[in-house]
Amino acid sequence: MRGPARLIYPGSVSQGHPSPDGEPVVRVVDLHKSFGPLEVLKGVSFELRRGDVVSIIGASGSGKSTLLRCINHLETPTSGEVWVMGRPMGFRVDAAGRQRPESMAQVNRVRMDVAMVFQQFNLWPHMTALENIVEAPIRVRGMSPAEAREVAMRYLTKVDLVEKRDEYPARLSGGQQQRVAIARALAMQPKVMLFDEPTSALDPELIGEVLDVMEKLAREGMTMLVVTHEMGFAREASDRILFLHNGLIEEDGPPGDVLIQPKSERCRQFLSKVLH
Amino acid sequence: MLDTLAQLFDPGLFWEYRTILLAGAAVTLYVFAFAAVLAVVLGLVACLLRLSAWRGLRWIGTFYAELCRNTPEYVLLIWIHYVPPLVLTWLTGVRVNFVPVVSAVLALGLASSGYFTETFRAGILAVPRGHVEAARSLAMSRGLTLRRIILPQAVRRMLPEAMNQFISLFKATTLVSLISVTDLMYQVSIITQEQMRPLPLYSGTAFLYFGVIFAMSVSVRRFTEQWRRRGWA
Repeated sequence: MRGPARLIYPGSVSQGHPSPDGEPVVRVVDLHKSFGPLEVLKGVSFELRRGDVVSIIGASGSGKSTLLRCINHLETPTSGEVWVMGRPMGFRVDAAGRQRPESMAQVNRVRMDVAMVFQQFNLWPHMTALENIVEAPIRVRGMSPAEAREVAMRYLTKVDLVEKRDEYPARLSGGQQQRVAIARALAMQPKVMLFDEPTSALDPELIGEVLDVMEKLAREGMTMLVVTHEMGFAREASDRILFLHNGLIEEDGPPGDVLIQPKSERCRQFLSKVLH
Repeated sequence: MLDTLAQLFDPGLFWEYRTILLAGAAVTLYVFAFAAVLAVVLGLVACLLRLSAWRGLRWIGTFYAELCRNTPEYVLLIWIHYVPPLVLTWLTGVRVNFVPVVSAVLALGLASSGYFTETFRAGILAVPRGHVEAARSLAMSRGLTLRRIILPQAVRRMLPEAMNQFISLFKATTLVSLISVTDLMYQVSIITQEQMRPLPLYSGTAFLYFGVIFAMSVSVRRFTEQWRRRGWA
């Protein structure tokens, strides 16, 4: 049941941060996901070790976002396994060895280690920046309001928005909203951060400020899985790049390999389109 | 003709009967307030049933809402006042009667809750899916998400529509004198019989109802304006 089944990338080792032995932060095993007759993920396996920064690239419709959403169980996989810090996400194995869906309460316990940043920011409009950030730490983690506020201010400082703490999202630019959303995710003190095209909804001049924050996080050793179209970020900040095509991982390796000398023809075609 | 018209308004008449009229107005407000709370609570419950993942619950919610919406308040009022007590009497073996005020609150609350079901549903469905997913991704439970993320936004969106429902409900309270609840209309009709001067009494009453409802809607509009200025709702 456990253990990486069918790794599609023999020989590829993550670079940059040394990966200590022990449980991977995220392990995905033979993940399938269908929406009705449409099979979006067709058996995806990979591991994310502590401190890994992995970018997922691929054409739209290749299953990148679905893969990310399966990891924190916003989508329920059709089959396959997701493990976070050695704990199964959204399933348990019954006495007969079959996979069973897990209760929401248990899902939420595992989810506390996985935070997500969305393309559309998804800040709650009826709360100020600070209120957005302290909400889950207080009500899910059970922090005291004072403690949560302290944590929130620390992350607002990190994303350089302390002076905007009492503004409502509608008064913030897209880039500022996304940075607040990153602070909100960090305030849960997750073991891994998932980024779902975090800069795709931004005006070009606002992309830089968000990427700067993400690069800073990467340098500080945060474990990150980033779906992105920003090839610059994928090249500079990530240890590994996954190229997804038609629901399968076609390339998995360090940026130098995947971006410069891809093995698959489809990856070459994709890169020639996005790198012009 | 002009003479009759001149008699349309007679504030002196109202002053004369002020205590009894005020007592009636108090009953009206009382019935309205309890019926409003009941309507909101039942409307929310029925709405959550309608949005449930289980078909059976969805069906119950829809059936309930349609039943309430498509029955005239007048009929519902009389039906509630007489039929459930009979059923309860038969079930318990003890003679049960509803105090008129209780029947009035139940009937108006039920009738109005059918509309609130739809209002809540529209308000909740208008909250972007992404806001819910953000809450879920931060490990917030369904209940917490509903209470902290969905409802506060839904309520703000619903407010203008809910205001209309409250106005309809307030107007519908004029029916409760039918089962001899001693509300404002009841007192007015009693005074009319005493004084034999329906015109000034009814035009004055119309004016009173107008004043109360108008004041309510203006203050709610102020409220929403403040929210709007803060950048949302």
